Amino acid sequence: MAMTTRDRARLSLGIQAGIFLAVVIVLAILIDWTAIRGSFFAFENLGPMFPEIITVGLFNTVQYTVVGFVFGLLGGTLLALMRMSSFPVYRWVATAYIEFFRGIPAILVFIALGFGASLAFGWNLSTLQIAGSALAIVASAYIAETLRAGLQAVPKGQLEAARALGMPAWRAMVTIQIPQAFRIVLPPLTNEAILLTKDSSLIFVVGMAGGAAELTKMGRDGINIYQAGLTPLVVAGFCYLLLTVPLSLLARRMEHRNPRTAKK
Amino acid sequence: MSQSQSQSQSDAARTPRPETTAAKGTGVPGGHGTSAAGVTITGLHKSFGDNEVLKGIDMSVAPGEVVCLIGASGSGKSTLLRCVNRLETPNAGTITVGEHEATHPDVNLDAMRRQIGMVFQQFNLFPHLSVLENCTITPRRVLGQSKAEAETEALAQLDAVGLEHLSERRPDQLSGGQQQRVAIARALTMKPQLMLFDEPTSALDPETVGDVLASMRKLAQAGMTMLVVTHEMGFAREVADRVVFMDQGLVVEEGPAAAVIGDPQQPRTQDFLRRVLHPLGE
Repeated sequence: MAMTTRDRARLSLGIQAGIFLAVVIVLAILIDWTAIRGSFFAFENLGPMFPEIITVGLFNTVQYTVVGFVFGLLGGTLLALMRMSSFPVYRWVATAYIEFFRGIPAILVFIALGFGASLAFGWNLSTLQIAGSALAIVASAYIAETLRAGLQAVPKGQLEAARALGMPAWRAMVTIQIPQAFRIVLPPLTNEAILLTKDSSLIFVVGMAGGAAELTKMGRDGINIYQAGLTPLVVAGFCYLLLTVPLSLLARRMEHRNPRTAKK
Repeated sequence: MSQSQSQSQSDAARTPRPETTAAKGTGVPGGHGTSAAGVTITGLHKSFGDNEVLKGIDMSVAPGEVVCLIGASGSGKSTLLRCVNRLETPNAGTITVGEHEATHPDVNLDAMRRQIGMVFQQFNLFPHLSVLENCTITPRRVLGQSKAEAETEALAQLDAVGLEHLSERRPDQLSGGQQQRVAIARALTMKPQLMLFDEPTSALDPETVGDVLASMRKLAQAGMTMLVVTHEMGFAREVADRVVFMDQGLVVEEGPAAAVIGDPQQPRTQDFLRRVLHPLGE
Protein backbone atom coordinates (compact mmCIF):
# COMPACT_ATOMS: atom_id res chain seq x y z
CA MET A 1 0.00 0.00 0.00
CA ALA A 2 1.58 3.24 -1.14
CA MET A 3 2.02 6.11 1.31
CA THR A 4 1.20 9.63 0.28
CA THR A 5 3.69 12.43 0.92
CA ARG A 6 1.49 13.65 3.74
CA ASP A 7 1.44 10.21 5.36
CA ARG A 8 5.20 10.13 5.25
CA ALA A 9 5.48 13.57 6.85
CA ARG A 10 3.10 12.49 9.65
CA LEU A 11 5.01 9.28 10.25
CA SER A 12 8.30 11.19 10.41
CA LEU A 13 6.87 13.63 12.97
CA GLY A 14 5.44 10.74 15.00
CA ILE A 15 8.78 8.93 15.13
CA GLN A 16 10.63 12.07 16.20
CA ALA A 17 8.10 12.80 18.96
CA GLY A 18 8.29 9.18 20.15
CA ILE A 19 12.08 9.27 20.46
CA PHE A 20 11.93 12.57 22.31
CA LEU A 21 9.38 11.23 24.79
CA ALA A 22 11.40 8.08 25.41
CA VAL A 23 14.57 10.06 26.13
CA VAL A 24 12.75 12.38 28.53
CA ILE A 25 11.23 9.44 30.44
CA VAL A 26 14.54 7.57 30.70
CA LEU A 27 16.35 10.69 31.94
CA ALA A 28 13.62 11.44 34.47
CA ILE A 29 13.97 7.94 35.93
CA LEU A 30 17.79 7.77 35.89
CA ILE A 31 18.68 11.22 37.17
CA ASP A 32 19.17 11.86 40.87
CA TRP A 33 17.05 14.97 41.08
CA THR A 34 17.80 15.68 44.70
CA ALA A 35 21.54 15.76 44.06
CA ILE A 36 21.11 17.95 40.98
CA ARG A 37 18.92 20.36 42.86
CA GLY A 38 21.26 20.52 45.83
CA SER A 39 24.37 21.05 43.69
CA PHE A 40 23.13 23.38 40.98
CA PHE A 41 19.86 24.94 42.01
CA ALA A 42 20.27 25.66 45.72
CA PHE A 43 19.30 29.29 45.28
CA GLU A 44 17.92 29.70 48.83
CA ASN A 45 21.38 30.26 50.36
CA LEU A 46 22.55 32.73 47.76
CA GLY A 47 20.88 35.91 48.97
CA PRO A 48 24.25 37.38 50.04
CA MET A 49 25.61 37.06 46.47
CA PHE A 50 23.40 39.98 45.55
CA PRO A 51 23.80 42.74 44.70
CA GLU A 52 27.60 42.31 44.42
CA ILE A 53 27.36 39.71 41.64
CA ILE A 54 25.67 42.45 39.57
CA THR A 55 27.28 45.65 40.86
CA VAL A 56 30.80 44.20 40.94
CA GLY A 57 30.90 41.01 38.86
CA LEU A 58 28.68 41.93 35.95
CA PHE A 59 30.00 45.48 36.01
CA ASN A 60 33.63 44.32 35.78
CA THR A 61 32.87 41.80 33.05
CA VAL A 62 31.21 44.54 30.99
CA GLN A 63 34.06 46.94 31.75
CA TYR A 64 36.82 44.52 30.65
CA THR A 65 34.86 43.52 27.54
CA VAL A 66 34.08 47.08 26.47
CA VAL A 67 37.68 48.22 26.91
CA GLY A 68 38.91 45.15 25.01
CA PHE A 69 36.39 45.63 22.22
CA VAL A 70 36.98 49.37 21.74
CA PHE A 71 40.76 49.00 21.55
CA GLY A 72 40.35 45.80 19.54
CA LEU A 73 38.27 47.74 17.02
CA LEU A 74 40.93 50.46 16.78
CA GLY A 75 43.74 47.92 16.45
CA GLY A 76 41.69 45.81 14.03
CA THR A 77 41.02 48.83 11.79
CA LEU A 78 44.73 49.64 11.72
CA LEU A 79 45.64 46.01 10.94
CA ALA A 80 42.99 45.75 8.21
CA LEU A 81 44.35 48.89 6.53
CA MET A 82 47.88 47.52 6.85
CA ARG A 83 46.83 44.22 5.26
CA MET A 84 45.42 46.11 2.27
CA SER A 85 48.37 48.51 2.03
CA SER A 86 50.43 48.82 -1.12
CA PHE A 87 53.58 48.79 1.06
CA PRO A 88 54.50 45.09 1.39
CA VAL A 89 56.18 45.33 4.81
CA TYR A 90 52.90 46.52 6.36
CA ARG A 91 51.11 43.56 4.79
CA TRP A 92 53.67 41.09 6.17
CA VAL A 93 53.59 42.56 9.68
CA ALA A 94 49.79 42.58 9.76
CA THR A 95 49.51 39.05 8.38
CA ALA A 96 52.05 37.72 10.92
CA TYR A 97 50.23 39.44 13.80
CA ILE A 98 46.83 38.16 12.71
CA GLU A 99 47.95 34.58 12.15
CA PHE A 100 49.88 34.53 15.45
CA PHE A 101 47.12 35.81 17.71
CA ARG A 102 44.35 33.88 15.98
CA GLY A 103 46.45 30.74 16.27
CA ILE A 104 47.31 30.72 19.98
CA PRO A 105 44.89 30.31 22.90
CA ALA A 106 43.77 33.63 24.37
CA ILE A 107 44.71 32.36 27.84
CA LEU A 108 48.40 32.53 26.85
CA VAL A 109 48.05 36.24 26.17
CA PHE A 110 46.48 36.75 29.61
CA ILE A 111 49.34 34.85 31.25
CA ALA A 112 51.95 36.74 29.25
CA LEU A 113 50.48 40.10 30.25
CA GLY A 114 49.59 39.12 33.81
CA PHE A 115 52.92 37.58 34.78
CA GLY A 116 55.29 38.19 31.89
CA ALA A 117 54.88 41.96 31.70
CA SER A 118 55.93 42.49 35.30
CA LEU A 119 58.81 40.00 35.01
CA ALA A 120 60.13 41.38 31.73
CA PHE A 121 59.53 45.11 32.08
CA GLY A 122 58.71 45.55 35.73
CA TRP A 123 55.27 46.87 34.82
CA ASN A 124 52.68 46.75 37.53
CA LEU A 125 49.47 46.48 35.57
CA SER A 126 45.98 46.75 37.06
CA THR A 127 43.44 44.00 36.42
CA LEU A 128 41.57 46.30 34.03
CA GLN A 129 44.77 47.01 32.12
CA ILE A 130 45.65 43.31 31.85
CA ALA A 131 42.17 42.13 30.89
CA GLY A 132 41.49 45.05 28.56
CA SER A 133 44.77 44.82 26.67
CA ALA A 134 44.78 41.00 26.48
CA LEU A 135 41.27 41.05 25.02
CA ALA A 136 42.18 43.93 22.69
CA ILE A 137 45.28 42.11 21.42
CA VAL A 138 43.31 38.98 20.58
CA ALA A 139 40.19 40.77 19.32
CA SER A 140 42.13 43.05 16.97
CA ALA A 141 43.40 39.98 15.08
CA TYR A 142 39.88 38.66 14.52
CA ILE A 143 38.33 42.07 13.90
CA ALA A 144 41.01 42.93 11.32
CA GLU A 145 39.98 39.97 9.18
CA THR A 146 36.29 40.78 9.59
CA LEU A 147 36.82 44.41 8.54
CA ARG A 148 39.00 43.48 5.58
CA ALA A 149 36.41 40.99 4.35
CA GLY A 150 33.70 43.65 4.76
CA LEU A 151 35.59 46.28 2.79
CA GLN A 152 36.35 43.80 0.03
CA ALA A 153 32.74 42.61 -0.07
CA VAL A 154 31.64 46.02 -1.38
CA PRO A 155 31.39 45.49 -5.15
CA LYS A 156 34.11 47.07 -7.26
CA GLY A 157 31.46 48.89 -9.31
CA GLN A 158 30.59 51.02 -6.29
CA LEU A 159 34.07 52.52 -6.10
CA GLU A 160 34.20 52.86 -9.88
CA ALA A 161 30.93 54.77 -9.91
CA ALA A 162 32.18 57.06 -7.14
CA ARG A 163 35.50 57.68 -8.87
CA ALA A 164 33.77 58.21 -12.23
CA LEU A 165 31.68 60.95 -10.61
CA GLY A 166 34.92 62.68 -9.67
CA MET A 167 35.25 61.69 -6.01
CA PRO A 168 38.87 61.49 -4.84
CA ALA A 169 39.92 58.04 -3.57
CA TRP A 170 39.66 58.96 0.13
CA ARG A 171 36.23 60.53 -0.38
CA ALA A 172 34.95 57.45 -2.20
CA MET A 173 36.23 55.27 0.62
CA VAL A 174 34.70 57.41 3.37
CA THR A 175 31.37 58.14 1.68
CA ILE A 176 30.69 55.00 -0.34
CA GLN A 177 32.84 52.02 0.68
CA ILE A 178 33.07 52.27 4.49
CA PRO A 179 29.33 52.87 5.16
CA GLN A 180 28.45 49.82 3.07
CA ALA A 181 31.22 47.70 4.61
CA PHE A 182 30.01 48.75 8.07
CA ARG A 183 26.57 47.27 7.39
CA ILE A 184 28.18 44.06 6.19
CA VAL A 185 30.42 43.67 9.26
CA LEU A 186 27.92 44.61 12.00
CA PRO A 187 26.63 41.05 12.55
CA PRO A 188 30.11 39.44 12.69
CA LEU A 189 31.33 42.26 14.95
CA THR A 190 28.44 41.59 17.31
CA ASN A 191 29.44 37.94 17.41
CA GLU A 192 32.98 39.05 18.20
CA ALA A 193 31.61 41.07 21.16
CA ILE A 194 29.86 37.91 22.42
CA LEU A 195 33.09 35.91 22.24
CA LEU A 196 34.96 38.68 24.08
CA THR A 197 32.37 38.78 26.85
CA LYS A 198 33.05 35.13 27.55
CA ASP A 199 36.83 35.41 27.10
CA SER A 200 36.96 38.12 29.76
CA SER A 201 36.61 35.24 32.27
CA LEU A 202 40.17 34.17 31.39
CA ILE A 203 41.49 36.87 33.71
CA PHE A 204 41.07 34.24 36.46
CA VAL A 205 44.50 32.76 35.57
CA VAL A 206 46.10 36.01 36.72
CA GLY A 207 44.03 36.37 39.86
CA MET A 208 42.53 39.62 41.08
CA ALA A 209 41.47 41.48 44.20
CA GLY A 210 37.82 41.28 45.29
CA GLY A 211 36.84 44.68 43.91
CA ALA A 212 38.14 43.74 40.46
CA ALA A 213 36.41 40.34 40.38
CA GLU A 214 34.31 39.56 37.34
CA LEU A 215 31.49 37.04 37.01
CA THR A 216 33.48 33.81 36.75
CA LYS A 217 35.75 34.75 39.64
CA MET A 218 32.76 35.56 41.85
CA GLY A 219 31.05 32.32 40.84
CA ARG A 220 34.14 30.29 41.72
CA ASP A 221 34.62 32.09 45.02
CA GLY A 222 30.95 31.53 45.79
CA ILE A 223 31.44 27.78 45.72
CA ASN A 224 33.64 28.07 48.81
CA ILE A 225 31.65 30.75 50.59
CA TYR A 226 28.06 29.54 50.39
CA GLN A 227 26.64 26.12 51.23
CA ALA A 228 25.06 25.80 47.82
CA GLY A 229 27.28 23.47 45.83
CA LEU A 230 27.93 24.76 42.31
CA THR A 231 24.90 27.03 42.30
CA PRO A 232 27.00 30.25 42.32
CA LEU A 233 28.44 29.17 38.96
CA VAL A 234 24.91 28.78 37.63
CA VAL A 235 24.12 32.30 38.79
CA ALA A 236 27.27 33.59 37.07
CA GLY A 237 26.27 31.69 33.92
CA PHE A 238 22.84 33.35 33.88
CA CYS A 239 24.55 36.73 34.26
CA TYR A 240 26.59 36.03 31.11
CA LEU A 241 23.38 35.13 29.29
CA LEU A 242 21.94 38.49 30.35
CA LEU A 243 24.71 40.04 28.24
CA THR A 244 25.13 37.60 25.37
CA VAL A 245 21.52 36.71 24.48
CA PRO A 246 20.51 40.33 23.72
CA LEU A 247 23.69 40.73 21.64
CA SER A 248 22.87 37.53 19.80
CA LEU A 249 19.30 38.67 19.09
CA LEU A 250 20.67 42.00 17.89
CA ALA A 251 23.07 40.26 15.49
CA ARG A 252 20.29 38.09 14.11
CA ARG A 253 18.03 41.09 13.57
CA MET A 254 20.74 42.93 11.69
CA GLU A 255 21.37 39.92 9.48
CA HIS A 256 17.73 39.83 8.44
CA ARG A 257 17.40 43.54 7.96
CA ASN A 258 16.46 44.96 4.61
CA PRO A 259 19.71 44.86 2.60
CA ARG A 260 21.08 48.33 2.08
CA THR A 261 24.27 47.10 0.50
CA ALA A 262 25.02 46.40 -3.12
CA LYS A 263 24.53 42.82 -4.21
CA LYS A 264 26.88 41.14 -6.61
CA MET B 1 23.17 77.52 -24.53
CA SER B 2 24.49 79.80 -27.27
CA GLN B 3 27.97 78.46 -26.75
CA SER B 4 27.06 74.83 -27.13
CA GLN B 5 24.89 75.54 -30.14
CA SER B 6 27.49 77.47 -31.99
CA GLN B 7 30.00 74.74 -31.29
CA SER B 8 27.80 71.98 -32.46
CA GLN B 9 26.66 73.87 -35.54
CA SER B 10 30.20 74.63 -36.54
CA ASP B 11 30.93 70.93 -36.53
CA ALA B 12 30.75 69.90 -40.13
CA ALA B 13 31.09 66.19 -39.47
CA ARG B 14 27.82 66.16 -37.71
CA THR B 15 24.62 65.08 -39.36
CA PRO B 16 21.81 67.52 -38.70
CA ARG B 17 19.44 66.61 -36.00
CA PRO B 18 16.51 68.38 -34.46
CA GLU B 19 18.12 71.33 -32.67
CA THR B 20 17.26 72.06 -29.41
CA THR B 21 14.90 74.04 -27.56
CA ALA B 22 14.55 70.68 -25.84
CA ALA B 23 17.56 71.53 -23.70
CA LYS B 24 15.24 72.89 -21.04
CA GLY B 25 14.82 70.26 -18.33
CA THR B 26 17.06 67.69 -19.94
CA GLY B 27 19.97 68.50 -17.77
CA VAL B 28 22.32 69.34 -20.53
CA PRO B 29 25.13 71.70 -19.65
CA GLY B 30 24.12 74.25 -22.29
CA GLY B 31 21.97 76.23 -19.89
CA HIS B 32 24.78 76.61 -17.39
CA GLY B 33 27.41 78.33 -19.45
CA THR B 34 29.52 75.22 -20.01
CA SER B 35 29.93 73.46 -23.30
CA ALA B 36 30.01 69.98 -24.73
CA ALA B 37 33.48 68.51 -24.99
CA GLY B 38 34.94 66.43 -27.77
CA VAL B 39 37.15 63.36 -27.51
CA THR B 40 40.25 62.56 -29.53
CA ILE B 41 41.91 59.16 -29.28
CA THR B 42 45.16 58.33 -31.08
CA GLY B 43 47.23 55.15 -31.15
CA LEU B 44 45.53 53.67 -28.08
CA HIS B 45 46.88 50.35 -26.82
CA LYS B 46 45.72 48.47 -23.74
CA SER B 47 46.71 45.03 -22.49
CA PHE B 48 45.60 42.97 -19.51
CA GLY B 49 48.63 40.79 -18.86
CA ASP B 50 49.40 39.03 -22.14
CA ASN B 51 45.98 39.78 -23.54
CA GLU B 52 46.12 42.82 -25.84
CA VAL B 53 42.59 44.19 -25.81
CA LEU B 54 43.12 47.43 -27.74
CA LYS B 55 45.61 47.27 -30.61
CA GLY B 56 45.93 50.84 -31.77
CA ILE B 57 42.67 52.77 -31.78
CA ASP B 58 42.29 56.12 -33.57
CA MET B 59 38.93 57.81 -33.36
CA SER B 60 37.29 61.02 -32.31
CA VAL B 61 33.99 62.36 -31.12
CA ALA B 62 33.16 65.95 -31.99
CA PRO B 63 31.54 68.22 -29.39
CA GLY B 64 27.80 67.50 -29.36
CA GLU B 65 28.20 64.37 -31.43
CA VAL B 66 26.64 61.01 -30.57
CA VAL B 67 28.82 58.02 -31.43
CA CYS B 68 27.77 54.43 -30.89
CA LEU B 69 30.43 51.75 -30.44
CA ILE B 70 29.25 48.37 -31.66
CA GLY B 71 30.93 45.00 -31.94
CA ALA B 72 30.99 41.51 -30.45
CA SER B 73 31.75 41.04 -26.75
CA GLY B 74 35.48 40.93 -26.22
CA SER B 75 36.12 43.33 -29.07
CA GLY B 76 37.40 46.00 -26.64
CA LYS B 77 34.48 48.48 -26.74
CA SER B 78 34.03 48.71 -22.98
CA THR B 79 37.77 48.88 -22.34
CA LEU B 80 38.03 51.75 -24.82
CA LEU B 81 35.21 53.57 -23.03
CA ARG B 82 36.81 52.99 -19.64
CA CYS B 83 40.13 54.36 -20.90
CA VAL B 84 38.44 57.68 -21.74
CA ASN B 85 37.74 58.49 -18.07
CA ARG B 86 40.80 56.53 -16.98
CA LEU B 87 39.02 53.77 -15.06
CA GLU B 88 41.57 51.82 -17.09
CA THR B 89 45.08 53.10 -17.73
CA PRO B 90 46.18 52.69 -21.34
CA ASN B 91 49.60 51.23 -22.15
CA ALA B 92 50.21 53.61 -25.03
CA GLY B 93 48.49 56.34 -27.01
CA THR B 94 46.83 59.62 -26.14
CA ILE B 95 43.29 60.60 -25.23
CA THR B 96 42.08 64.17 -24.89
CA VAL B 97 38.70 65.12 -23.49
CA GLY B 98 37.92 68.81 -23.92
CA GLU B 99 40.87 70.67 -22.45
CA HIS B 100 42.06 67.62 -20.46
CA GLU B 101 44.71 65.28 -21.75
CA ALA B 102 43.53 62.08 -20.07
CA THR B 103 46.75 60.23 -20.75
CA HIS B 104 49.09 62.96 -19.47
CA PRO B 105 50.97 61.82 -16.35
CA ASP B 106 50.09 65.02 -14.49
CA VAL B 107 46.41 65.08 -15.39
CA ASN B 108 44.04 65.89 -12.52
CA LEU B 109 41.88 62.81 -12.86
CA ASP B 110 39.22 63.91 -10.38
CA ALA B 111 38.76 67.27 -12.10
CA MET B 112 38.61 65.56 -15.48
CA ARG B 113 36.12 62.94 -14.34
CA ARG B 114 33.80 65.63 -12.99
CA GLN B 115 33.30 66.70 -16.58
CA ILE B 116 32.67 63.15 -17.81
CA GLY B 117 29.48 61.38 -16.81
CA MET B 118 29.44 57.60 -16.92
CA VAL B 119 26.54 55.15 -16.94
CA PHE B 120 27.34 51.51 -16.18
CA GLN B 121 25.74 48.27 -17.31
CA GLN B 122 25.05 47.36 -13.65
CA PHE B 123 23.79 50.91 -12.75
CA ASN B 124 26.05 51.05 -9.65
CA LEU B 125 23.70 53.25 -7.67
CA PHE B 126 24.77 53.63 -4.05
CA PRO B 127 22.43 51.22 -2.22
CA HIS B 128 22.82 52.82 1.21
CA LEU B 129 21.56 56.18 -0.05
CA SER B 130 18.14 57.27 -1.28
CA VAL B 131 17.60 58.14 -4.94
CA LEU B 132 17.83 61.84 -4.09
CA GLU B 133 20.98 61.36 -2.01
CA ASN B 134 22.55 59.39 -4.86
CA CYS B 135 22.11 62.50 -6.96
CA THR B 136 23.21 65.05 -4.36
CA ILE B 137 26.12 63.35 -2.59
CA THR B 138 28.79 64.21 -5.16
CA PRO B 139 27.66 67.79 -5.88
CA ARG B 140 27.59 68.42 -2.13
CA ARG B 141 30.74 66.59 -1.04
CA VAL B 142 32.90 67.27 -4.09
CA LEU B 143 31.59 70.54 -5.55
CA GLY B 144 30.66 71.95 -2.15
CA GLN B 145 27.07 72.78 -3.10
CA SER B 146 24.57 73.49 -0.35
CA LYS B 147 21.94 70.85 0.37
CA ALA B 148 19.16 73.02 -1.04
CA GLU B 149 21.10 73.88 -4.16
CA ALA B 150 22.06 70.25 -4.83
CA GLU B 151 18.52 69.01 -4.20
CA THR B 152 16.94 71.54 -6.54
CA GLU B 153 19.26 70.47 -9.34
CA ALA B 154 18.87 66.75 -8.54
CA LEU B 155 15.07 66.97 -8.57
CA ALA B 156 15.21 68.77 -11.91
CA GLN B 157 17.37 66.00 -13.35
CA LEU B 158 15.14 63.29 -11.85
CA ASP B 159 12.15 65.07 -13.32
CA ALA B 160 13.82 65.04 -16.73
CA VAL B 161 14.02 61.23 -16.60
CA GLY B 162 10.49 61.05 -15.19
CA LEU B 163 11.39 59.79 -11.71
CA GLU B 164 11.06 62.83 -9.44
CA HIS B 165 8.25 61.04 -7.58
CA LEU B 166 10.62 58.22 -6.52
CA SER B 167 13.29 60.49 -5.03
CA GLU B 168 12.82 59.20 -1.46
CA ARG B 169 13.03 55.51 -2.44
CA ARG B 170 16.04 53.27 -2.05
CA PRO B 171 17.64 51.93 -5.23
CA ASP B 172 16.66 48.33 -4.40
CA GLN B 173 13.00 49.39 -4.47
CA LEU B 174 13.29 50.43 -8.12
CA SER B 175 13.14 48.41 -11.31
CA GLY B 176 16.31 48.05 -13.35
CA GLY B 177 15.12 50.58 -15.89
CA GLN B 178 14.29 53.08 -13.17
CA GLN B 179 17.67 52.55 -11.53
CA GLN B 180 19.42 53.16 -14.82
CA ARG B 181 17.48 56.40 -15.37
CA VAL B 182 18.47 57.51 -11.86
CA ALA B 183 22.07 56.71 -12.81
CA ILE B 184 21.71 59.00 -15.83
CA ALA B 185 20.23 61.77 -13.67
CA ARG B 186 23.00 61.28 -11.09
CA ALA B 187 25.69 61.69 -13.75
CA LEU B 188 23.98 64.81 -15.12
CA THR B 189 23.91 66.56 -11.73
CA MET B 190 27.67 67.03 -12.18
CA LYS B 191 26.96 68.96 -15.40
CA PRO B 192 29.29 66.86 -17.52
CA GLN B 193 30.46 67.88 -20.97
CA LEU B 194 30.63 64.28 -22.16
CA MET B 195 28.58 61.21 -21.29
CA LEU B 196 29.89 57.64 -21.52
CA PHE B 197 27.38 54.78 -21.64
CA ASP B 198 28.67 51.24 -21.11
CA GLU B 199 25.98 48.87 -22.42
CA PRO B 200 23.33 50.77 -20.43
CA THR B 201 20.45 48.49 -21.39
CA SER B 202 22.17 45.08 -21.41
CA ALA B 203 21.22 44.19 -17.84
CA LEU B 204 17.60 45.36 -18.14
CA ASP B 205 14.34 43.50 -18.46
CA PRO B 206 13.16 44.02 -22.04
CA GLU B 207 10.09 46.03 -21.06
CA THR B 208 12.17 48.67 -19.25
CA VAL B 209 14.71 49.23 -22.04
CA GLY B 210 12.53 51.72 -23.89
CA ASP B 211 12.36 54.28 -21.07
CA VAL B 212 16.14 54.30 -20.70
CA LEU B 213 16.68 54.70 -24.44
CA ALA B 214 14.11 57.52 -24.47
CA SER B 215 16.04 59.37 -21.75
CA MET B 216 19.24 58.91 -23.73
CA ARG B 217 17.62 60.16 -26.93
CA LYS B 218 16.37 63.24 -25.11
CA LEU B 219 19.90 63.90 -23.92
CA ALA B 220 21.27 63.46 -27.44
CA GLN B 221 18.71 65.87 -28.86
CA ALA B 222 19.76 68.43 -26.28
CA GLY B 223 23.29 68.45 -27.67
CA MET B 224 25.24 66.30 -25.23
CA THR B 225 28.40 64.65 -26.50
CA MET B 226 27.79 60.93 -26.08
CA LEU B 227 29.93 57.84 -26.54
CA VAL B 228 27.69 54.79 -26.25
CA VAL B 229 28.66 51.13 -26.19
CA THR B 230 25.48 49.35 -27.16
CA HIS B 231 23.86 46.34 -28.80
CA GLU B 232 20.69 48.33 -29.52
CA MET B 233 20.97 48.71 -33.29
CA GLY B 234 17.62 50.50 -33.49
CA PHE B 235 18.88 53.15 -31.06
CA ALA B 236 22.19 53.45 -32.90
CA ARG B 237 20.49 53.87 -36.24
CA GLU B 238 18.02 56.46 -34.99
CA VAL B 239 20.07 58.51 -32.53
CA ALA B 240 23.74 58.14 -33.38
CA ASP B 241 25.49 60.56 -35.71
CA ARG B 242 28.17 58.02 -36.32
CA VAL B 243 28.65 54.33 -35.64
CA VAL B 244 32.04 52.75 -35.00
CA PHE B 245 32.36 48.99 -35.44
CA MET B 246 35.17 47.34 -33.47
CA ASP B 247 36.53 43.83 -33.78
CA GLN B 248 39.45 42.24 -31.94
CA GLY B 249 40.78 45.50 -30.57
CA LEU B 250 40.66 47.50 -33.79
CA VAL B 251 38.26 49.90 -35.46
CA VAL B 252 37.10 48.03 -38.55
CA GLU B 253 34.53 50.39 -39.99
CA GLU B 254 33.01 53.73 -39.08
CA GLY B 255 30.67 56.20 -40.66
CA PRO B 256 27.15 57.62 -40.50
CA ALA B 257 24.80 55.31 -38.63
CA ALA B 258 22.58 54.62 -41.61
CA ALA B 259 25.57 53.69 -43.76
CA VAL B 260 27.35 51.38 -41.30
CA ILE B 261 24.23 49.60 -40.08
CA GLY B 262 22.23 49.74 -43.30
CA ASP B 263 24.99 49.09 -45.81
CA PRO B 264 28.18 47.82 -44.14
CA GLN B 265 31.23 47.57 -46.40
CA GLN B 266 33.58 45.34 -44.43
CA PRO B 267 32.93 41.57 -44.31
CA ARG B 268 33.40 41.45 -40.55
CA THR B 269 30.85 44.24 -40.05
CA GLN B 270 28.43 42.49 -42.39
CA ASP B 271 28.87 39.23 -40.51
CA PHE B 272 28.39 40.85 -37.10
CA LEU B 273 25.29 42.78 -38.13
CA ARG B 274 23.76 39.74 -39.77
CA ARG B 275 24.11 37.80 -36.54
CA VAL B 276 22.79 40.67 -34.39
CA LEU B 277 19.88 41.66 -36.61
CA HIS B 278 18.86 38.14 -37.67
CA PRO B 279 19.89 35.84 -34.85
CA LEU B 280 17.82 32.94 -36.21
CA GLY B 281 19.23 33.26 -39.72
CA GLU B 282 17.09 33.83 -42.78
